Amino acid sequence: MTEVMVPPAKKRGLRPLTEPAQDAPRRRDERTPGEKAARVLGYTLLMLFAIGLLAPFAWMVLSSLKSANEVFSVPVTWLPEVFIWSNYVEIWSESNMLVWIRNTLFLAVVVTFLQVLTGSFAAYGFSKMKFRGRDMLFLLYVGTIAVPWQSYMIPQFILLSNLKVSNTLWAIVFLQTFSAFGVFLMKQFYETIPEDLSEAARLDGLSEYAIWRRIMLPLSVPALASLTLLTFVNTWNDYLGPLIYLRDPDLWTIQLGLKSFVSNLYDTDYALLFAGLTISVIPIAIIFMLGQRFFVEGIATSGLKG
Amino acid sequence: MAITAAPDAPVAPPRKRPQRARARRRNTLIAWSFILPNFIGFGSLTLVPIIVLFYMSFTNWNVFGKADWVGLANFERLLGDGSFQIAFGNTLYYSALHIPLTILVSLTLALLLNNKLRGVAFFRTAAFFPYITSIVAIAVVWNLMFSPDYGPINEILRFVGFAEPPGWLTSADWAMPAVVIVSTWRDMGYYMILFLAGLQTVPRELHEAARVDGAGVIQRFFNVTLPCLRPTMFFVTVILTINSFKIFDLILVMTEGGPGQSTLVLSQFIYRKGFEESQFGYASAASVALFFLCITVTVAQFLWNKRRSA
Amino acid sequence: MKRNIAAAVGLALAASLTLASCSGGTTETPDGPVTLSLSGWSIDTTPEFQVLADGFEAKYPDVTVELKEYDAGEYNTLLTADLAAGSGPDIITQKEVKYVPTLQEGGQLLDVSDVELPDGIGGASSYIVDGVSYAVPYRQDSWVLYYNMDLFDQAGVDYPDGSWTWDDYADAAAEVTDGLAGAAKGAYLHRWQSTTQGFANAQAPNADILSGDFGHFAGYYENVLALQDAGSQVDFNTSSANQLSYQGEFGTQKAAMLPMGTWYVATLIAQQESGDADDFAWGIAPAPQFSSSTTGTDKTPVTFGDPTGFGINANIDEGKIQAAKDFLAYAASEEAAQALAAIGITPALTNDAVVETYFAVAGAPTDELSKFTYAEHDTKPENPTSNQAAIVQGILGDMHSAIMSESEAIDSAIENAEKRAENEADLN
Repeated sequence: MTEVMVPPAKKRGLRPLTEPAQDAPRRRDERTPGEKAARVLGYTLLMLFAIGLLAPFAWMVLSSLKSANEVFSVPVTWLPEVFIWSNYVEIWSESNMLVWIRNTLFLAVVVTFLQVLTGSFAAYGFSKMKFRGRDMLFLLYVGTIAVPWQSYMIPQFILLSNLKVSNTLWAIVFLQTFSAFGVFLMKQFYETIPEDLSEAARLDGLSEYAIWRRIMLPLSVPALASLTLLTFVNTWNDYLGPLIYLRDPDLWTIQLGLKSFVSNLYDTDYALLFAGLTISVIPIAIIFMLGQRFFVEGIATSGLKG
Repeated sequence: MAITAAPDAPVAPPRKRPQRARARRRNTLIAWSFILPNFIGFGSLTLVPIIVLFYMSFTNWNVFGKADWVGLANFERLLGDGSFQIAFGNTLYYSALHIPLTILVSLTLALLLNNKLRGVAFFRTAAFFPYITSIVAIAVVWNLMFSPDYGPINEILRFVGFAEPPGWLTSADWAMPAVVIVSTWRDMGYYMILFLAGLQTVPRELHEAARVDGAGVIQRFFNVTLPCLRPTMFFVTVILTINSFKIFDLILVMTEGGPGQSTLVLSQFIYRKGFEESQFGYASAASVALFFLCITVTVAQFLWNKRRSA
Repeated sequence: MKRNIAAAVGLALAASLTLASCSGGTTETPDGPVTLSLSGWSIDTTPEFQVLADGFEAKYPDVTVELKEYDAGEYNTLLTADLAAGSGPDIITQKEVKYVPTLQEGGQLLDVSDVELPDGIGGASSYIVDGVSYAVPYRQDSWVLYYNMDLFDQAGVDYPDGSWTWDDYADAAAEVTDGLAGAAKGAYLHRWQSTTQGFANAQAPNADILSGDFGHFAGYYENVLALQDAGSQVDFNTSSANQLSYQGEFGTQKAAMLPMGTWYVATLIAQQESGDADDFAWGIAPAPQFSSSTTGTDKTPVTFGDPTGFGINANIDEGKIQAAKDFLAYAASEEAAQALAAIGITPALTNDAVVETYFAVAGAPTDELSKFTYAEHDTKPENPTSNQAAIVQGILGDMHSAIMSESEAIDSAIENAEKRAENEADLN
C-alpha cells in the first residue's frame, strides 16, 4: 500500500501535479461522454443477454397456455392461438399440488438448514484446525463428489431400505444433508478470513465453538447465502432422489407429482406440465430476488489488515 | 570442548513435552468434534455405498444378489470396449470446451453484476433463471432453438450470411458444441453466485490503494482481484471440473447420446450398462474409471493450489 | 494389511446387501384372506390394472389385489431397486420383454409353466426361457397402419385395402401429399427405432438381431429415407428438433397415415371426444408387407409387437402362490380379455368375441378392414427374449439415430453397428 498521495489517473495520461488532488469517489457528472456511452452500451448488452437468458422460460410460460397438441409444431409458435387458462386451474384443482408443495417445502427447508449447519461446522474443523490426516480426509470428501450418483444409487437404496427409512421423507433428508459440497464451499471461504481474528479471540479466552459462532459465521454471510440458495434450489428441483425413495403419492414432491399427473406411458401433456413447472419456479424466483443482495453484502470488513 | 548431552536425552525440558502432546491431542479432538456431525452422515450414507460400488467393480453383479468375483476382468474389458473409449473421449471433449467457457462467462457476469447499480437484482435473477428452470423445459426449448430448418438460431445465422448453418443437435459434428452451449447457458448463473460471494472477500482498501496508485481496471483485476479470488477460483474449478466429467441429465434429455454416439459421455455409458443392460459389475468398473479421472485431475488442482498458496 | 481389511469390509458389506435382497417370506400363511401386491404405472391414467384387479376380486372374493404405483418412465429402474432391496411386489408386471431375462437370471421370477393359457393367445413365447415359462401375457399391442379417411377423400386417393407392400405405401403417401397440396403430409413416421426396425425384424426373411447380422435393415432404411426425401413425411431431424408427437401429427390432421401400435386407438378415441384431436373419420389397416406373399385379406399380415404380462415374485409367501397363479390365469383368460377390450386395450387374446367388444366402443372405427386388422395378425416379437437383447437394441438405437439424422450413410452405419455388436455383445 502506497503512502504517497498520487492523484487519480484519468483515462489518458496522468493529471499534471499542479492540479488539486482528488480523493473522493468520482461523481456522476464527472464521467466523460465516452464513459456514459460505455454505460449505455453495457446496459444494452446486458438487456439483450437477459432476453437470451429468459427467452426459453418465456416460451415455456406461453406454451403452458396452449392446448396439448399445439405446443409442438412446425414451425415454432410463440403465442397460443387461444389462451387456455384452464391448465392452471386444472393443476390447482385436480392435482395434489398443495400436498406436493408442502412436501417439497419441508424437504427444502430441512435439508438446507441441516446442510448449512453441519457443513459450515465441519468446514471450520477442516480449515482452521490442524490435525493428522486432515488433508487426506478432505480429499476423500471431495473425492466422493467425483462418483456419479447413479453408480452407487442401488447399494445406497438397499442400505436406506434396511434402515427402514425408504418411502419416508427422511430418506431424502439423509440423502441430501451430508453432502461434501457444503463443506468444501465453506472451507474455501473460511480460508479467506485472516487468522489474526481467531488468534485474538483465542487469546481473549473464546472456545473454538464460540469463535465459529461469533466470528466465522457472521463474516461468511455471502458464502452462507450462496450455499443456502443453491441447496434450496437443488432440493426443490431434485427429481431422481425423490423418484426412487418417495413411492407413496402422499410423499411426492412437485417434480414427481407433476410428471405423474401429466403423463402416462406414451404421452405427456406438455402444456399442463409447463403450467405446473411455471408454478414451481415462482417460489424460487421470489426467494432469489429477495435474498440475492446477501451474496454481495456481508458484515463490513473494515478493520482487517490486508 | 562442549559438553554435549547424552545422545538419547530429550532436547526440551521434560515437563513441556507431555503438555504439548496433550494440547495437540485436545486440538485434534476438538477438530473432530466439528467434523463428526457431518462425517457420521456422510460416512454411513455416502462413503459406505461407494465402497460397495468399488467392490462390485471386481464382480459380475447383476443387482439381484449374484456377485461372483471376477478380478480385473471388467477393467480389461473396458480397455477394449469401443463405446467406452468413445464415451471417455467425448467426456474430455465436452469438459475441455465447457470448463473454460463457463469460468469465463460466469466470472465476467459476477464482475459486471458486483455493484449496486439500478436493476442489478433483475439481471442477477435473470442469470440464475436457466439454473432453476426444469431440465425438461430446457431440453425442449433448446431443441426448438437449434432446429436446423426452422429454429431461430439458424434463422439468424442465415440472415447474417451463413448459407449452410450447422445441423446442431441433428449433426454428429455439431451436437456436442450445441450441448456445451446449453450447458454453459444453464450453469453460468450458478457459478456466478459462487464468484459473487468470492468477490466479497476482496478487501476494498486494496482496490482503492491500487486505483490511487494509478492502476487501470485491467491491472486491478489481475493484480488485486484474481489473487484474492484464488480460494474461490480453486473451489469453482474443482467443482466445475468434476461436474463436467460427470455430466449426465442434460445430455440424456437433449440427445440421449446421439446422433449415433456423438454425445455419449461416461455417465450415460455407466447408466446404460447398469440400468438398461443390467451389467452392474461392469458399470461399477466404469464408475471407478470415471472416479479416477476426476480424482487425478482434482489432485493435480489441489497440488497446484497448494504450491500457489505457499 | 490395510487392503485386506478394506477387502474384508467390502466383502462383509456386499454379503449383507445380498442377504438383504434375499430376504423374503417363506412363511406359510393359513387359508384365508390373501393380499397380493401388483406393480402398475400411471394408475390414474392407465385403467387396465384396476379393471383386472376388480375383475379378479369379483371371481375370488378371498383375495385382495393391491396396486403399487410406479413411475411409467423409470419403471424398470424403480422395480430393480425394490427387488434388490427385497421390497418388490408379489405380482411383477413385465413391462418390457427386454428385462425378463434379467429378472429370470436374477432368480426373481417363479416358474409359471403350469398356468393354463387359452388357445390362440399371443405373446406367450416371449416369456419362455429354456423351455420354462416365467410370465403370462395379458395384453399384446401390434403395429398397424392408421389412416385418415377424410384426408384420403380430399386427395382423391383410394384407402388402404390390406394389400399393400412398402412400395404401395410409398406411392400412396406421395399421391396423398400431392393431392393435398401442402395442407398435410402423406404420412408421419415417429422417431423411435421400432418404427423402422420392428418391421424389418418381423418381415425380412431370416432376420435375427442376435446373430449380429444387420443387413436386413438396409432396404427398410432406404425406403424411409426416400419417403423423407420425396417430402411425403416430415424428416427425422425436424421431427426431433420440434419434438413432434405422433398423437399431435395424426390427431390434428397434419399427416394422413401413421404406422403405430394398437394402443393409440384408445388414445385417439379419447382425444377426439375431448377435442384435443380433430373430428375426422379414420380406420386401421394392416401394416405394409415385405412382399406380396403376405398381402391381402385372405392371408395373415406380418407385423410386430411385444406382450405385456404378469410374473410372480420368486420371494412370495408360499401361501400366496396359488392365489397369484390364479390371478395370472385370470389375466390371460377370455373374460379378462373382454374387460380389457371394453376399455380400448388390445388383449393378448383377440378372438371374435373380443373383437366385437373392442369395436363396440363409441368412436371406434366400424369398417371391416379395421376389424380384420385387429383380429388377424402374425405378430412377431419386437424384442427377442435373451439377456443380450438390451445390449443389441442399444447398439441398434444408436445406429438408428445416426442413419435417420443423416449423419452417417446406411451401409457404414450398419457395418459400424455390426462391429460394435461383435465387440460388446455375446452373439449367437
